[in-house]
Parts: sequence; C-alpha cells; structure tokens
Amino acid sequence: MSKQISRRDFLKLATAGAATTAVLTGCGPASRYVEREPYQRMPEYTYNGLSTYYATACRECAAGCGLVVRTMQGRAIKVEGNANNPVNLGKTCARGQATLQGLYNPDRVENPTRQNRGAALSGDALEWDAAIQIISDALKNTDPAGIAFLMGMAPDHLFDLVSDLAKAIGAPAPLRFGALGMFEARATLGRAAETMLGRSAMPFFDLANADMVLSFGANFLETWLSPVAFTRDFSKMRRGNPKRRGYFIQFEARMSQTASKADEWIPIRPGTEGLVALAIGRLVAELKGGSVPASFSSVDPLEVASTAGIKLETLEHVAQLVVGSQAPLAIPGGAALGQSNGLATAESVLALNALFGNFGIPGGVFLSPLSPNQDAYHRPASAREMTDFIAKMEDGTIKVLFVHGVNPVFELPASLGFAEALATVPQVISFATFPDETALASDYIFPDHHGLESWGYQRVVTGSSQPVLSGAQPVVSPYFNTRATADALIAAAQLAGGKFAEAMPFADEVAFLQGKLAALVGEPDGSFFAPEINTFTAYFQQHGGWWMTAPALSSPSASNALARTVSPGVAEFAGNGEFFFLPFVSPTLADAGANKPWLQELPDPTTTVMWNTWIEMNPQTAQVMGIDNDDVVEIVSEAGRVEAPVYLYPAIRPDVIAMPFGQGHTAYGRFAAGRGTNPADVLGVRFNEAGDLAFAGMKVEVRKTGKKPQVLSRLESRIGVYGEGMGEEH
Amino acid sequence: MTTELKIPEYKLAEEESGKWGMVVDTDLCTGCQACVAACAMENNIPYVGEEDAAYGRSMHWIRTERFWEGEYPEVRMTDYQPMLCQQCGHAPCEPVCPAFATVHSQSEKLNLQVYNRCVGTRYCANNCPYQVRSFNWRDYQDPRLRPEITILANQFNPDVTVRRRGVMEKCTFCIQRIHKAQDLAKSEGREVEDGEFTTACAQACPANAITFGRIDHPETLVSQLAHSSRGVHHLEELGTLPRVTYLKGG
Repeated sequence: MSKQISRRDFLKLATAGAATTAVLTGCGPASRYVEREPYQRMPEYTYNGLSTYYATACRECAAGCGLVVRTMQGRAIKVEGNANNPVNLGKTCARGQATLQGLYNPDRVENPTRQNRGAALSGDALEWDAAIQIISDALKNTDPAGIAFLMGMAPDHLFDLVSDLAKAIGAPAPLRFGALGMFEARATLGRAAETMLGRSAMPFFDLANADMVLSFGANFLETWLSPVAFTRDFSKMRRGNPKRRGYFIQFEARMSQTASKADEWIPIRPGTEGLVALAIGRLVAELKGGSVPASFSSVDPLEVASTAGIKLETLEHVAQLVVGSQAPLAIPGGAALGQSNGLATAESVLALNALFGNFGIPGGVFLSPLSPNQDAYHRPASAREMTDFIAKMEDGTIKVLFVHGVNPVFELPASLGFAEALATVPQVISFATFPDETALASDYIFPDHHGLESWGYQRVVTGSSQPVLSGAQPVVSPYFNTRATADALIAAAQLAGGKFAEAMPFADEVAFLQGKLAALVGEPDGSFFAPEINTFTAYFQQHGGWWMTAPALSSPSASNALARTVSPGVAEFAGNGEFFFLPFVSPTLADAGANKPWLQELPDPTTTVMWNTWIEMNPQTAQVMGIDNDDVVEIVSEAGRVEAPVYLYPAIRPDVIAMPFGQGHTAYGRFAAGRGTNPADVLGVRFNEAGDLAFAGMKVEVRKTGKKPQVLSRLESRIGVYGEGMGEEH
Repeated sequence: MTTELKIPEYKLAEEESGKWGMVVDTDLCTGCQACVAACAMENNIPYVGEEDAAYGRSMHWIRTERFWEGEYPEVRMTDYQPMLCQQCGHAPCEPVCPAFATVHSQSEKLNLQVYNRCVGTRYCANNCPYQVRSFNWRDYQDPRLRPEITILANQFNPDVTVRRRGVMEKCTFCIQRIHKAQDLAKSEGREVEDGEFTTACAQACPANAITFGRIDHPETLVSQLAHSSRGVHHLEELGTLPRVTYLKGG
C-alpha cells in the first residue's frame, strides 16, 4: 500500500475517465496530492492545450452542489457544474463560479501562525509539527468538558470527524453555525416540519411541478437552502410544461430578487405573513365549498387585509387563482420566519399546503430524504443555542475553543456579545483559510486548505429528491503551507496518545473518509456499484459523490396539520423607531463572498450596486424626509447604530427600510476589509419560538447625517434607471 | 489584349445567415449573475474596483439589465434581460473602426475584436447601440499596478488573451470554445455539432435561460427557440440584424 505511485497513475485513478479496478488498489496516502511542476519539466502526460477535469463539491455554501473543475498544468482554471450531480445538474451560481478567486486569493493564511488576538494577521509562522503539538497539548491537557468545537455548515466529513473525536474523549458535541442558516431560520423550518409534517426534517417543496406558487418571504432564487436547485425548479415551473406557465406570487414587504420574478408582488406589512396565509386558506376553503378547518376559520379576511395593509380584493383574487390552479404550493421562508411569530407563520403556511391537499403529491410538500450515510437530520445551531454557547464561554466553562468554517464575530449580531465572550476564552485555535474576524481574534491560526484543495463530502439537505452525498477531492495541490484540518486533528490525537489516539486510528483524512463510505460499498441502487472500498473511493472521486438513483421523498400526513390549531397573530417588534428593519442576505456575496473581487463587482440584481452596502428606502418616504440617493443615513435600533448611503428603491413599502448583509468586514482580506457596513451591528437579541433570531423583528429610527462622501457604484448608471441610456438620444 | 477582371461577388453581411446564435428566455432569467461571473472567469475579464465601476468603466461582457415601470405600490420590474454583444450581422461598430480591429469573421459570422490592432479610439463603443463594449482604462491585469494579480493570475484561462490598457473588448461568443470544438471536429473529419460545447454563460445558467448553438441548422434547439412567437430582437429597427434572440415573458 505504501508504494509511491506516479502522478500519471494517480490521474488514471482520479480523473473522470475510465479507471479499472486492477490499478485502483495501489492507491496509497503518498499519491493523494497532485504535484505542481514547473513548465520546464512537464509531466509526461501534459500536453499544452489539454486540460484535466476533476469532479468535486462546492464549498461556498452548504447546499453541496457538484463541480467539475478544469485544471491545466496544476492550476485550476474554470469551475463548471457537475452534470450528473442531482442537486445542480451541471449548473452553478455566481459564488460557485468565483470560488477560484478564493483559491487564488492574495489574502489567504499562508502558514500556521501564532496570532496576537485582535491584531492584524501576524507574520509569526510556525512549523506544522509545532502546530500539531499545540493542538495535541490543548486536547490532552484540558478537561474534556472544557473543550469546545465550533464548526461551519460545511464540510460534513470534518463535522463527522470532530463529532467522533468529541464523543470518544468525552467533550461536548461540536456546534455548527452559519449566517445563511440564521437568515434561513432553519431551526424554525425544522420545528414546523416536526409539528405539521410529523418529523423534524427539512421540508421539500416540489416547485418544479407546481403551477401556482405562493411564497411568503422565501428568497429561494437567492441564497435560500439550495438556490441552484430552486432556480432550476423555478425554470421548470415556468416553462417545463409546454401546456401551462406556472404562476408565482410573492408576499413580502420589499421586492427581493426572488419577488422580482413573481407575476405579482404583494407588499404586506412585515409580521403578518401567517395571518395572510390563513386568510387565503379560509377564502380558498369557502370558494371550494368544503368545511373550513379551525385554524382558518378563526381569521377574518377583511381584518387581515387591513392589518397587512392590502385590499381584501387582493386576497380574494389570490384565492381565486389558487382555486383555478391544478397544483398550488405555498413556501414559507426568509424574513417571514425571522419574526417573533416565525414558527407560527411557518406552521400557518404548511397548514395552507395541507388545505391545498398537496402533501406528498407532485407539485406539493414532501420531506427531504436523508443523505446516504446519515442517521438523522441535524440542523445547524439556532441563535438561542449560540447564546447558550456564548454564556459557556463567558462563565469559563470553555477552556479551549476550536473554530472551523465559520466567522461568528462577523455573522452574529454584535449585541449577542460573541467577540467579548471570545476574548475571555483561555485558548482559541482557528482553522480558518482566510484571515477573518474570528481567526484574527484567536491565539493560533492553523489554516485549512481551500475547498478546491480538500478531500471530503457534503450531505445534501434538500434540493434533490434523491439521497445525495456530494464528494470532494483536491483538484490542485495546496498552494500555500496549509494542512487539512482533519489531518491536523488526526495527527494531534495520535500524538496525544491514549484515548485520543484510539479515537483517531486513521492513517490520514482519506482513510477516515473511506471508513465513513464503507457502508455504501456493495449498495446496489446507487449511481455506481463497487464491490470493495478502494474501487468505491476511486469511483466516488470520478463521479463527484454517490447518490441513489431513485427518488426517496417521504409523504407527510395532512390530517395532523389540519387538526392542529395555529394562530400566528401579528409579530411583535422591538424598538420605538418608525421603520420596520429588514436585513437580507446579499444575493451575490452571501455570507462569505466579500473577499472575492469579482463577487464584489457583480451588481446586486435588484439595485445594481457594486462594492458597497446601501440602505433601501422608498422614494416617497425619502422625499418627505428630505433624503436623496447616496445621502448617508444612520439607522438607530435598540441594540446599536449603523451608517450607510441610501438607495432610493422603488419597490419597498414606505414604512420599511432594508439593508443587505455581507459587507462591513473589519478583516477578511483587502477586498472585504473596511468596505461597507454590517446590519448585524443593529440587530437585537430577540428570538422566535423555535430559538431562531427574530432578525426582521425590529423597528428602527433613520437619522440624517448630512454626509454624502461618494456615490454608490451601480451598473445602472451605465444604462439609466428607466432605460434612458439605451438607444436613441444618448 | 484585354484581361477579363474577375471581381469577387460581394455579399452584404445581412444577406448571410449567422452560424452561431443565442436565445435568452427572459421569462426564466432570475438575474442571479451566474452568467456574469462565469463569463468573467472564462474570459479573464478584469474587475475595475469601486471607483472605476462608479464611473461606468466596469468590464462586464454580459450584464443583466432591469428597468422599473410605475411607482409604488403599482411598481413593476421588467424581466431581467442579460445584455451582451448581439453579434450583429450588420454591426454598427465595424465600419467606424479606423484600425480594422473590429471586423466581421467570414468563417464564423461573428464580430471579432482584434486586440493587437486596437488603438483605443473607442469609436466602436460609441457606435454600439447595445452598450456592450468595454474599454480597458487601466492596466488592470498588470501586477505592477495590482500586486494581487500575481496570485489571481493562476486562474487565468490560457486560451484567452489578457488585454492591456487602451484596448476595447467585448463578448466573443466564447470563440476559444468554438475553435476548440472545431479543431476536434476537424481532426475527426466532421462538422461541429450543435450542443457539442456551449458558452460559459449558457453553461452556468441555473435557470437554463440561455441557449447557444448552431443557428444555421433548422433542427437545433436554438433555431427552434429563435423562431418562437415570443422572440424579439433588441433595437431591431436599427437594422443591426442581431444574432441574439430574446424570448419575452408572460
């Protein structure tokens, strides 16, 4: 097994070509990385002009899309979607495309580094042996109850490894968190699925086969859950069936990118989404002439219309459209769930689906299948669970904190006090690839490889009706002196000896992965069949994962959902300001895109602003207040204040102001640091019933500052807002 | 003795059918910018930074436009419309170039931009009614100006030239991909088939809103879509004969 094999052999095994089982058993750890060679001494297989393609998994978010990366002479050149992966079927989003600018980012952490907390990235590089010794000492010399692991929503294999390690040494289970999960209110979705669909799982909305879609705040064409899959399904909903064109109505206070594709955008007052869903349900039930279930009969559509700030005719019109459709579907999500009544809102919308009778039928609601090597659905931590975690940091329970794949100093609301609590933890070790805010507040940064240099797998939570495990492999050798966190932990545990070494008896990360994949060997109904583990691993690399060939959606029962009484009421709003505050995730940057220059230069789809943060305000409101485009205003909430230039946005309620999340970094490299502001700075500590942050449950004041330092860069200035720059006169 | 002069038959560009065509279904486009990012990654397009972007100097070869209609609450956004070089059969950019840097390809029926001929008069951009040409106002890809390029350049596509300051550029319909497919087809003694390859934008598009292919074959998907009753050509009245068809929504 330890025989060195050449790069040529390796490629035979790993590329998406034909590999034979005979060669595959020779695959040992030494051959697991491809060496970059100088041009003068080209490897024999390399011809100028021929590329090599590797299948892997995208790590820009947790959706687990499959990628095929074109490489040339050891460099990654272009990212394409993996046409066979059921999640994205060959497609990618903008962030997936720009992942190469993360790989070749000028501001990566290049070496294991000893860091002065809070200072800029120090140049105090360590040897990896010293780094492993530090991790090993931290594991061995700390009471297991004082060891904490904080992980991101990707990758899953590392989460599994850390879970196993924590369990074996008696440390608390690792906690996972991500800003996208927070803004998606995943805990709320999971709990609503438990009460209404009978199981805590991720609901599956069969958008592709619906013909009448009512979305209550779900931003499924932007960053929500699995945006590439939802965009494909949206496309099918619209034009997949030549006999009909799916109709789409979005209820939300601000026209998001998703709402901009709706046939009707209905700007309801924030916090009334649940009531509106119930009122539509009642009208639909009455039009159909059956009995009206209790939840629905308790609301008065006229009253709801006036509370939501719309006309009764609008609700009646929607109800009529629903009655006239074949496959209506209602989707709860986004800011509608990030309210004090978010859980009841999610339940109301699921109840509406039950009323439509679409549980378990095409175009309706299902439960997403579990990934092939998964025992149960594990959602990321809610903001309330993070608050408990912060309390443990503050009271000294946590002695050593390991952080990987998440940047809570930036992502969590400042008012939760994560940064302050972090400062009290005796030892913080970060595995960050980039010098983000949390990494710089650590004692050590032991950088992980970039996702394209990494092994691993990612479980697909939703987005495909088939159970999918997306597989990752390095497409290039590591560019910097980084090391896979899994390898670092395995080495450290073995160095520590005893129960630590027993918990991690693996030669390296790949051996660990093989252990986790072993259960799938010989499985007959998958995308490929392999009789033994080395063959399986090789095919897993070639295909970019393993998935079942048949759909495995489960159908929930509707009786439970209809029997249950839900009463969402109107959400409570914290603070005394006159405006509802609506933070939303930037569709182009998402949570971690700000360090990639091309993502910064992608215009925001709705406003076309690039490279900055803005505050959206209705032009009529702004006129009354004497505010113009690009005037800097201050938003004051009960929790804090933040400044940004105003963008007069024509499609937002006059009583709402909105602000994108994604900018406002104080670190994270030259393209992100010092650019824009972060709406998390004004978010207060309020939760909904499921423990998710009520991020859209605030009222804020808007104050003029009299400043107008610069105009926002926007693409529309090249063509004009109303198209006046196109064509004739200009 | 008189010699008979053989004057080659002259054919106006508009009389020739295109070879490659594109159809964009604006009812499906979600404005997600995946095409814009894919295009930038494939074609080594530089980012210009916040200030130059504010001056309208951003280099996007493709951009998604959207316009507003009406005022709140009766406000509506038009469908997103990805705007890229329309590869006009009768291109307004071509006759104004004093250096013959933007010319029509006889073999591909595309508008070419020859970077090493371009002297940067910008007449072509001035004359383009679609405003899809972008000009290199600075040496954006020069490591002396931008040290970070040294690392970012690892990702550059070796099939596409890196442009210098003072040069105009625009969408090429990913001509490097066309040539690659043609080379392969030639070596196998056949013609390039529809669907054998596609442009970076069409390949990435999660909504399948962009279709690229052989517009000269009536059976291809792109040809059939182009003849859809929903199809329109932008600024058709200018007589530019665009090769990109937009399918209107609704």
